[in-house]
Amino acid sequence: MDIVNLFWVYAFSIIMLLVIGIYCMLATFNLMRALIGSEILIKAVTLFLIVAGYVTNQGALAQCLVITLIVVEVVMMTVAVGVVLGIHRYNKSLDVRKIRNLKG
Amino acid sequence: MYSWLVLLPFLGVIFLNLPSKTVRYKLAFWLSLFIVVVQLFFVIVPMSVAWSRILDSLGTFLKMNFSVDSLSQVLLFCIGLVALVTLFVQREMAQDEKQMFNFANVLLLVLAGMNGIVLVRDIFSLYVFLEITAIGSFILISLDESFSAFEGAFKYIILSIVATVLMLLAIGLFVLVAGSTSFEAIGRAFADYPNVFLIRLAMGLFLSGCFIKAGLMPFHGWLPDAYASAPASVSILLAGIVTKVVGVYTLMRVVVSIFGFDPTLRTILFLVGIVSIVFGALAALGQGDFKRMLAYSSISQVGYIILGLGSFTLLGLAGAVFHLFNHAIFKSLLFVNSAAVESRTGTRHMDSLSGLSQRMPVTGVTSILASLSAAGVPPLAGFWSKLLIIMALWFSGFIWVAVIAVLASVLTLAYFLKFQRKVFFGTIAADFNNIKEAGFGLMVSSVILAAIIIGVGVLFPFIFSNFIVFISPLIGGTVGT
Repeated sequence: MDIVNLFWVYAFSIIMLLVIGIYCMLATFNLMRALIGSEILIKAVTLFLIVAGYVTNQGALAQCLVITLIVVEVVMMTVAVGVVLGIHRYNKSLDVRKIRNLKG
Repeated sequence: MYSWLVLLPFLGVIFLNLPSKTVRYKLAFWLSLFIVVVQLFFVIVPMSVAWSRILDSLGTFLKMNFSVDSLSQVLLFCIGLVALVTLFVQREMAQDEKQMFNFANVLLLVLAGMNGIVLVRDIFSLYVFLEITAIGSFILISLDESFSAFEGAFKYIILSIVATVLMLLAIGLFVLVAGSTSFEAIGRAFADYPNVFLIRLAMGLFLSGCFIKAGLMPFHGWLPDAYASAPASVSILLAGIVTKVVGVYTLMRVVVSIFGFDPTLRTILFLVGIVSIVFGALAALGQGDFKRMLAYSSISQVGYIILGLGSFTLLGLAGAVFHLFNHAIFKSLLFVNSAAVESRTGTRHMDSLSGLSQRMPVTGVTSILASLSAAGVPPLAGFWSKLLIIMALWFSGFIWVAVIAVLASVLTLAYFLKFQRKVFFGTIAADFNNIKEAGFGLMVSSVILAAIIIGVGVLFPFIFSNFIVFISPLIGGTVGT
């Protein structure tokens, strides 16, 4: 298969991953699952960056971007899970519906 | 030499964590104060050639595409100033040295991130520094480990991840279209094929990411919660500079050097700006908690900056940058005052407070000055920047937008007067009869900020002819590397 055909295969899977991630974030009331949904979204973006580099023949650039992205994402997730842990310590629950004390 | 502004805070963090516990706890405040003062010094004092050559040769191992124009310089100054105020406030509010140490570490990381955002000329490095700043702010918000702080931080994290995903999709599209990540190459691709669908899509995605990060009105869900639930010093940092650099500066930079001036973009900016101004002010009017009120007021003021940017004239851009500066000053001052009131009375509900001016005269007077500056009352600094923005809108033919901006200014005055009347004016409530003026650090920082507000306002003709007229033509040009 040539590059253009492969591109559409990749495009389809990227869009599917994005849809799955958004659905996961919208449908759940669980904090951890919301984070997992956001992880799926970031994975879709990672794949997209690789494909963009591949199509434009810029593999080196795409590799740099993706490696940096992975590092940043891991740090972000560590902090996010820490915050979730803090919420759990107060609430003994990960349900979004039970932590609505900020309103207005 | 400007790469040192990014490098120095990182080295500071490493250095801070090397010595033994007692030494590093003592060191935390002074080292971060030193780094912030160095930054202010860098910006204010023009560097001599000999100095910059030494610093350049030391800084060459940081291979990044840094450059500085006058927009960056204004922001570097604001970042330094707000960080300085934050440090003083945190020294006053911190219960023990450990808190100060933790705060100083993360503050230095956020400082490095913000300086990086202001200095880079490459969209992917911009993203990396955005994330450094954002992660630092998550930690700062949840620093005092209260339940509401965790909740505010979690909302910020989720919306920030969404913004990140949108921006990264846009960056992928930029790579696809331009084959590079530097602002120049992408800007050229945008100028060459302005109406390709992928380019429009990339623009929309990146703009939505910026709007979420700046907390503009349809995307503002996280902002009041994060501001209100964060510790006092962190609210000053977030409201004064972090969201402005992360959202508004990024938006300005991207519009000026990538997207160019295009009518659809202008419509989007006007729409978001007007919605933010009007509904932000209305929401602020309805708040009972003064920190939340200030957060909504922040949304409303950022709307003015967006309108100034959207006018696409040199006058409008200059007004937007000037308002960004003024907003950093007066909003920091208002949050310093709210920290003073909260620490002395223990409450944030406006209804349970009254007549604090009698016991806290400095806080009362400076907060009146800041409120009037925010509302745009003539001799103060905020009036001039709003005037520039509204004049730019009027002269470029958007009379209705200008009229709405002026009318919303009345709403601003309304909610600030409500805040003043409830908290500072009137007879003092019996419970608060023996409270004292805020501590020394809070008082000094509020007096300095109030002096800047009055000084910039009164000396406006001088400042206009010496600084502001040079802002707009130089955006995009460089004054040093």
